[in-house]
Formats: sequence, C-alpha cells, structure tokens
Amino acid sequence: MSNALVEAQPLPAPLSERIAWQLRHNRKLDLWIAWYTMVVFYTLFGVVFVLMTEVMPPPGPDWSTERIVRWFSDTRGGLLNGFAIIFAVTGMAAMCNAIISYSMWRMSVSKAFSYAYLIIYSLAAIPGMLFCAILLTVGALRPERDPKLLVWLYEAAFLTFVGTMGIFLVGTLVWMIAILIDKNRVLPAWFGFLNICNLLTEVVVAPAWTARRGAFSWNGSVAFWIDTIVFVVYTCAFIWVLRRMVERETFSAGAAP
Amino acid sequence: MRRGDGELILFWLLPALGVTWIAACWMFPGFNPPMSPRMPAEDVAAFYRDPHNAVLTKISMVLFNWFCVGMIPFLALIITQIHRMAHHTPIWAFAFIGCMAGGPTLLFTADLFWLVAAFRPERDAALTQMYNDIAWVTFSAQAGFLVAQCIFLAIAIYLDRQPKPVFKTWVAHFNLVVAAALVPATFSAVSLTGPIAWDGIASFWVKNGALITWLIVMTVVLGTTLYAQRREEAWVR
Repeated sequence: MSNALVEAQPLPAPLSERIAWQLRHNRKLDLWIAWYTMVVFYTLFGVVFVLMTEVMPPPGPDWSTERIVRWFSDTRGGLLNGFAIIFAVTGMAAMCNAIISYSMWRMSVSKAFSYAYLIIYSLAAIPGMLFCAILLTVGALRPERDPKLLVWLYEAAFLTFVGTMGIFLVGTLVWMIAILIDKNRVLPAWFGFLNICNLLTEVVVAPAWTARRGAFSWNGSVAFWIDTIVFVVYTCAFIWVLRRMVERETFSAGAAP
Repeated sequence: MRRGDGELILFWLLPALGVTWIAACWMFPGFNPPMSPRMPAEDVAAFYRDPHNAVLTKISMVLFNWFCVGMIPFLALIITQIHRMAHHTPIWAFAFIGCMAGGPTLLFTADLFWLVAAFRPERDAALTQMYNDIAWVTFSAQAGFLVAQCIFLAIAIYLDRQPKPVFKTWVAHFNLVVAAALVPATFSAVSLTGPIAWDGIASFWVKNGALITWLIVMTVVLGTTLYAQRREEAWVR
C-alpha cells in the first residue's frame, strides 16, 4: 500500500473526529462508500425478501386459487411495507454494480467489460426484483380483487423473480471472463471460477417456466434451493473479494499489490 | 464543430423535454386531479370508457413516453460533468449511469400500463383496475432510482475536491433535499388514504413538484456550467 494512503492516520480520538478525518482525507472514500452500500443493500434485501414478505423461499406454483388468495391476505402487511423499503433503496443496487464495474475498469481488460456489466446489471434489477415487487404489491393492495387476477399477479411475479435468467447469465459470464484474463490480479482466479457455478444456476432455472411441481418448479430443490444457496455463497464471496480489492487499491496503473 | 457544441445542442433540447413533461401532465385526466386509489373497479373502468378521457390519456401517455426517453440525454450531460470532477475512480459516474438506465425504464413501464388500460376500455372492469393499479404503483412508488441519482450526484459534488469545483456545494445540498422529498412516494402503496397514498400530498404533489423543480434547477445549473466551460476552453485556446 502506498504511503499516501496510510500516512497521517489520526491519533486515538473520539469516533466523530475519526469519521470526520476519514471523510476529509481517505482517498478510497468513494470505494468504501460503495462497498458499505453494497453490504447494507444485500442485508436489506435478505430481511425484506426472507423475513418480511416471505417471498424467499417462495410459495408453490401448484397452489390452489383459494390458497393464493389467502396467502395475499396473510402476508399483506409484510408485502406492502417490505417492498416499500425495497422501492426506497432500489438505487443502492446501482452502487453495487458501480463497484463491480470498477473492478473490471481496474483490470487489464477492455473497458467494454465494465460497460457491458454496468448496463446488464442496471437493468437486471427490474425483471429480477422490481417487477416481482410491483406485481405482489398490486396483489396485496386489494386482497378482495377477482381471484383469477390475483393468481395472474402471483404467477407473473414469481416467474419473473425466479425465472429471469439471461441478464444474470450474461452479466456473470462477462465478469468471469474479465477476471480470468486479467493480468492485474484485481480479483482472485478462484473467484473467477466460482462465477461458473452462478451462471450454471441461471441455466438450470429454465425449466421453472414449464414445471408446476417437483425439483424444477420455481420453488423446487433445483430451481430455487440450489440456485439460492449458490447465489448466497457467491454474493458473500464477491462482497469479501471486493473488500480485499478496496484494501489493496493504490490507484497506480498495472498489477494490484 | 467543437465537442462542446454537441453538448449545447443536447442542452437546448431540454426546453422541448420540459414542454413534453408539462403537456403530458396537463393533458392526462388521471392527474387532474390525481385518480384516487379508493375508486371502485367500475369507476376506474368508466374513467377509461369516457371517450374524452380515453383520447387525452393516449395523447398524454405518448408524450410521457417521449419524456421518459428524453430524460436520458439530459442525464448523460450530467454524467459528462461528473467525469470532470476530481475523483479517484469513475464510481459516481457508473452509479449515475445505473440510475439513468433504471429510472426511465420504470417510468415508461407505468406509461405502458396506462396505455393498455385505455386501449380496450370495454374489457372487464376488474382487469382495467388492475392495469391502472400497476401503472400508479409503478409511477408513484418507483422513485428509488431518482432518489439515488440525486444522492449520488450530491456525494460526487461533495467529493469534487479541486480549487474550482464543477458544481457549487449548494447544488449538492439541493439534490439531497430533492431526494428527501421523493422518498415518501416510495411508500405510496402502503396506504390507500392520507398523504402517503398515491393521490396524497406527499406521494403526488410533493414528489412531482420536487421532480419538476429538480429539472428546472438542474437545467439552469447545467446550462451555466456548460457555457462557463465553453468560455474557459475558448480562453485556453
């Protein structure tokens, strides 16, 4: 790490003064803001989708109309409040994409990788998260709505949430290629290979568009559970490797230390 | 032609963008006054079945569609200014680009469902009400990217540490105030009544007032900056 990044560390001082010092002098402030934003976003995402809205793990595609109507009534408060939080913090996803795109900007690869990832994942939030949240919010808004329409909202929401593949598949592929051909060692090669696991899960969710029950349905052991476990491991891994990237950053050209 | 000339051409498209926005808001009968989320399905269907409303909805929503996409060159001009700031990384420009992709896409998703509701108003009233709900929830509650782009721009300005910053600090303060004014709208689906409801003072009037104010102020700020930049480049040359 260059001296410019570590020198003049403040003496032990109250927290407020240390924060003020960091705000004024830390050259990596933007990277740290991006990294912490990413941690907060994924934490909120987990709290809302797992605990508040009970969308993860998802209810079944083979549920009866009566059961779907009851599900909307039972989870109404969680759906409306939880997704309102997601709507408020949606933009934090842009910060996550920004730091990942920056990792590719820092690599020895073409800037095309950064731009491709940035746009793919900027749009990914819409079919991968927001359409689901909007449709379930609309369902929860009026539980007295015609049951046929509630079933339509329910199916469209979960199919877009679980079955959206292309953007995550291609986005992960772009990042993986960049990491594996990078000569600046910005991110470790093992993480490049871990990307393969994530992109393969985007392929195995494809049958969720046809299977209404069993392992390949949208709440099945393959289409949901394996996909989600890999996603959680992958997300924890990239949060960790990006933290290492920020710590090692010197803003000098060429290989990372 | 110099590079800055192209930016000025894009900049002078902004009045047309403003006119499109005002015309769309003025003409859409669903905004004057904002449709109540408490309207029964039959009333919602009757709204779209009214020939006068149907025509105005279609015209205004086509204009609104133009506005949604028209915002992108405007936001791109702001990105060129973020690139001129003294940052160590392009993170703020990247984050702003992310919002620039997401925000307009969601706005014209709302636009699409209003148009779908108006296209075949004789359909089942419950279906028309659902399209109308999707449009309103998307239009009102999807302010997250707008909130974030204001915050990102504000932080980018605060971190622009150079003797002559690109934007003055008050522009950052202003963007934070606008972001705060937009946040309540993201909760508009939580209640069908009161200030948070999509026809309420916070979710409709404050949010859209903040958005219009932001467009006007940022147009002036951007214009001033572009012309100042042009004068400096001419002087250097």
